[in-house]
Amino acid sequence: MSYIQVDHLQKNFWVRKKKDKRSLFREKEKVEALRDLSFQIERGELVGYIGPNGAGKSSTVKILSGILTPDGGSATIGGLIPWENRKEHVRRIGVVFGQRMQLWWDVPILDSFSLLKDIYRIPDAAWKKRLDELSGALQLEDLMRTPLRLLSLGQRMRAELCGSLLHQPELLFLDEPSIGLDSISKLALRDFLRWENREHGTTILLTTHDMEDIAALCPRVMVLGHGRKLFDGELSALLARYDTSRTVTVRFGEGNVQPALPEGLSVSREGDDLKIIYDPRKNPTADILASLQQAGTLRELTIQPQNIDHLIADMYQEMAL
Amino acid sequence: MKSYWTVFRLRRKMEVQYRGAMLGGIICQIFFGLILIALYRALYESKPQDLPLSHVVTYVWLQQAFFRMLLASDPDLLDKIRTGGIAYDLCRPVSLYGFYYMRILAQKLTGSLMRAVPMLIFAAFLPEGWGITPPASPAGFLLSLAALLLGLLCVSALENITMAFTMRTLDSRGVQAMLNLLMMTLSGNILPLTLFPDSWQRIITLLPYAQLLDAPIRLYTGDWAPQAGPRILALQLGWTGLLAALGLFLWQRNQKHIIVQGG
Repeated sequence: MSYIQVDHLQKNFWVRKKKDKRSLFREKEKVEALRDLSFQIERGELVGYIGPNGAGKSSTVKILSGILTPDGGSATIGGLIPWENRKEHVRRIGVVFGQRMQLWWDVPILDSFSLLKDIYRIPDAAWKKRLDELSGALQLEDLMRTPLRLLSLGQRMRAELCGSLLHQPELLFLDEPSIGLDSISKLALRDFLRWENREHGTTILLTTHDMEDIAALCPRVMVLGHGRKLFDGELSALLARYDTSRTVTVRFGEGNVQPALPEGLSVSREGDDLKIIYDPRKNPTADILASLQQAGTLRELTIQPQNIDHLIADMYQEMAL
Repeated sequence: MKSYWTVFRLRRKMEVQYRGAMLGGIICQIFFGLILIALYRALYESKPQDLPLSHVVTYVWLQQAFFRMLLASDPDLLDKIRTGGIAYDLCRPVSLYGFYYMRILAQKLTGSLMRAVPMLIFAAFLPEGWGITPPASPAGFLLSLAALLLGLLCVSALENITMAFTMRTLDSRGVQAMLNLLMMTLSGNILPLTLFPDSWQRIITLLPYAQLLDAPIRLYTGDWAPQAGPRILALQLGWTGLLAALGLFLWQRNQKHIIVQGG
């Protein structure tokens, strides 16, 4: 059996709504957050978990971290059922909810960290070593004695991350961990997660809308929509499937060259540059390049794949999400 | 176990930071104390009661000094429940009830001690008939300290039940307004329980609210002799146990039906 084994998981919520503005009573409406979700994750995997807003990502994370009880289906993590063996289960996992706070607002963050030390019964020496490691990677050394309320959003986020990793969990759920981080912190976070995964074999499930984080970290991606799994596999395979447009920008040695290109491509001229947008599935890149070379001497040439966010947006649209 | 103690320490540290709130609270409570005492002096002038006036005055000062023990909810805790920050606490390998109990206890103890000590010193220097009088006997004093401690444990258990209800209703104001009315009346904060008709007192002093401050104050003033001490402490202990068991049950039920809203 896999480390994380999820079978036919279901979760419903009841939302109370007024039928129209004037009606006195509110009616209960069932929202199926998870309809029938199954997947497996092996120990040491780094998996990206994506989907549009309201797809059920956070519900999955909350069920797997033992907070919510599902309405149907089963899940085991390392042999334990999260919502039934809550205490033993949560000792081994770390969770980051990007939009919530775990550290204490009015006290220095170091105090919050020492509380976590006692909660997880981390030995003093191990705690110190780990804290050094984390505060270095997340650039927190100078902030340890500052109360949380005085930190900026990005600094707070880094401190929250540090808090979730202190007890060196074997499994890490990250729900939007890069909210509010600047580029330096974002890159540092990526490096750190990669290092954590490689060094300690930590299994990581990363939920985010930041596709660059996913692309940089996760070999495997799962796409969730309407409470169901729509895709599970390598990110490159996913991208290849929806990679429907690329842009070639080319500058010729001599001006005003008109290359003989296949029908149906969008061609536009911006100054000396010629911009050609094509679908690599219909017109192989090699063919496009060949016809450009025939037209004249090339001085500059760049090929840009579609922006990953556009690509994901196209995918969501096609999956009717 | 150590983590519960650390929560207590951390919450205490946090409470000590709110010195502005402390000063405001002291001024407010001294004001109320003086008004109430003026009122009872007027009452006694026109119609003297069986109970000595000095007992009533001492009762009022002790009630005002430990006011914070009765009426103060942890705003952070309520926020956590309202905004879903509680999700983090749910993924800790600790008992949520115990964790929150220690927070509540630390807040009530620290908050009320910070106010009570300066206020009681102030009240001790007031002229006779306005100020607090010394305890009736050393034994009564020691017993009243023990009773105060048990009262604190009892009120924290009560508060944790309110928190459990807050998890159901999300907004604590409705439940709290109702419970506060009960608390203020039945704990003797509005009118000392010692001034209630005897037949009422027999019932009211058995209720949990009377265990919080009324019982320790009566031991202090000698209204209850030290011989009654063991019976009173046992009653307090019984209520604390019962309320804690109820709170624990409610929290465990909540945990099964929890919903964390908004992603």
